[in-house]
Amino acid sequence: MPVDEKKLTDREKELALQFQATKDRLRETKRQVAMVMDLNKCIGCQLCSMACKSLWTSLEGREYMWWNKVNTQPGKGSPKDWERKGGGYRVLFGGKVRDPVRGELPTRRDFGDMWKFNFDEVFSSKAGEKHLKALNPDGSEPEWSMNWDEDQGGGTYPNAFYFYLPRICNHCTYPACVDACPRNAIYKREEDGAVVIDQEKCKGYRFCLESCPYKVIYFNFVQKTSMKCIFCYPRLEQKVATACARQCTGRVRFLGFLDDPSGPIHKLVKVWKVALPLHPEYGTEPNVFYVPPLSPPRLDDQGKLDPAKPRVPPAYLRFLFGPEVDAALDIMNKELQKVRAGGKSELMEILIAKQWLDMFGPFKTDPATLQRLPAKEQKA
Amino acid sequence: MAEETQKMEKVVVKKVSASAQELLNLKSPAWASTSAQRIELAATPLANQPSPYIKATYDETKIGAIKEVLVRAVHNGKEIFFFFEWKSPAANLEIGDVGTFPDGVSVLMPFKNPEQTPIKEMGSKDFPTNSWYWRPDFENKPKNQVAHGLSTSLYTETTPLTSVSSWESGTWRVVIGRPLQVKEEAVNLAPGQPNVVGFAAWEGGNGERGGVKAFSKEWRDLILEA
Repeated sequence: MPVDEKKLTDREKELALQFQATKDRLRETKRQVAMVMDLNKCIGCQLCSMACKSLWTSLEGREYMWWNKVNTQPGKGSPKDWERKGGGYRVLFGGKVRDPVRGELPTRRDFGDMWKFNFDEVFSSKAGEKHLKALNPDGSEPEWSMNWDEDQGGGTYPNAFYFYLPRICNHCTYPACVDACPRNAIYKREEDGAVVIDQEKCKGYRFCLESCPYKVIYFNFVQKTSMKCIFCYPRLEQKVATACARQCTGRVRFLGFLDDPSGPIHKLVKVWKVALPLHPEYGTEPNVFYVPPLSPPRLDDQGKLDPAKPRVPPAYLRFLFGPEVDAALDIMNKELQKVRAGGKSELMEILIAKQWLDMFGPFKTDPATLQRLPAKEQKA
Repeated sequence: MAEETQKMEKVVVKKVSASAQELLNLKSPAWASTSAQRIELAATPLANQPSPYIKATYDETKIGAIKEVLVRAVHNGKEIFFFFEWKSPAANLEIGDVGTFPDGVSVLMPFKNPEQTPIKEMGSKDFPTNSWYWRPDFENKPKNQVAHGLSTSLYTETTPLTSVSSWESGTWRVVIGRPLQVKEEAVNLAPGQPNVVGFAAWEGGNGERGGVKAFSKEWRDLILEA
C-alpha cells in the first residue's frame, strides 16, 4: 500500500520535498560519459571481464564480483534470470513521472558464489590423479556463474544462434539505485555522470540491489557494503579509457561524452541512431548503448538460405533493445550494402574503427602514464 | 519475566552495586530483580522514508514485525546497561546471503533539548541524536551512531559499547552496556541528570534494515537513580 499523498501532514510534505530535492541533486551532472558496445564484433573472450577483475575486484570480499561480464544471449545471464527480478521504473506522462517498481534480491548463488579451488590438492598429487575443481564456500558444487550458459544460445538446428552481451553498470541518467538508497550514498559524479556508491556512507542495506533492474550491483559480504562498476573514474580523471574498453581485443567498445559532436558516441547514438540502450522499458535511461547484432539469413526446410528471414528473431532483439532496433538494423544493413557496392559509409568507418584510439574520444591517454594515488586519497 | 512487567511512562535506570561483568551475564541475579517495562513499537512511517523507492514499493502495514520489547535498565555509578527481551521466530544472525538481514535493537537519545529533537526523524541538523545499535553480527561490539536527521546516521570510529546476547525458543535477550561518560561523540549520562530515550528493533526475517524497522513513537523520560 503506497503512501496516500492526500493524507500527509505538512511536515511530511516538507520532508518529501526535501528528499526529492536531495535525489535531484544526487542525479545532477554537468556532462555524461557514455559507452557504445558493438555486438557485431564481440567474440566473448572475456578479456574485458579479466581486465576489470584484475583492476578492481581481486580484493577481499570482491572476489565473486564481475563488475564487467559477458553474457551469452539468449540466456539466463548473471545474476541468473536477472531480467525477471523487477526494479526500475514505470515511465508515465511522457517521462514526467517515474514510478519505482519493486525489485527482488538475487542470491549469491545466482551470481555464482565465491568459489574455492583445490589448488593445493592438484599441486601435491600425481599428474592426472586430481583435477581442478571449484566448490562453493559451503562445500557444495557450483550451479551457476557469470558465464555458466556461455555459447548455449537459442533456436534449433540449423537455425541455432547466439551472440554476446558484455554488461557493466549502465550509469543511468535516472539510476534506480540513487532513488532507492535511504542513506543518499549513491550519486552521479558531476564531472562525468558515473554512478558511484560512497563506501563511507553505505551501510549495506541493499535497497539498491533490489531496485536496479539490470542487477549489476554486488554485495561485499566482508566489508558489508554494496559495490559496482565505477566506470573506471580514476582513469577517466586522467583521460585514460576504462580498462574494459582498452583491453577489448575486438574493438567493441567506444567511449566518450554523449554531448561531444566530434566523438563516436554522439555519432552512433544521436546522429546514426544505431546504438540503443538495453531494455529501455526499465525506465532508467542507460548511458551504455549497444549496436545490435546483424544476423545471417535463416535456412529454410530445404536447407536453402532465406534472405527475407534473419537468423536472430527480430522479436528477441525488440525484447532486448526495444522497438527502435528495427530501424537501427535497417540503417546498418543499408550502409553495409553501400560499402559492399564499393561506396563509402561514415557509419561503417566508425564501426570498423581502424584507428583504435579514435574509439575513446578524449580518453586517449596511455594508461602507463597513470599516476596512482595513495589509497587514502582514492574514493572507492 | 513478563509477569514482572509494570506499566510506566518513564524508563527508570535502577542503581545497583553489580559489576559490569555481572551485568553482562544475561542470567545474573541483578537482572532477575529488576522490573521490566513493556515498550510498544510501531512501523516507521512510510511517508518519512528518504528513499522514493521504499516509499513507493513498500507496505507500511508489513513493516515493524516486532510489536514490543521489554526493557530493563540499571547503572552502577560508572556504567549503564539496557536489557532487551523480544520475540523473534528465528534468529537472523548474519548476512549469509544477499537477501538475508540480521535482527537488531537500538537505543536512541537526543544530545540536547528533547522537545526540539524529533524522534521520528532521528533528530535534525541542529538537534542531533545518538544511538547505540546492536546486531548479532557486530560480535558484541555495538555501533555508536550520531544522526542529524533521517538518512544521516554515521558510526563513530571508536566506542566502548559492549553487549551479550542469546536467542532461545523464539526470544532474543540482549544486554547493551557502556560507561556513563565517554570520550567519543555520544550522549554522556549522569545519575540525577534528566534525559529521554527511545528504542527501535529490526526483524531480519521480515527484510527489516535501516529505516524499515519498528520504533517507539515517543520519547520517554530516562531517570538514572542517584
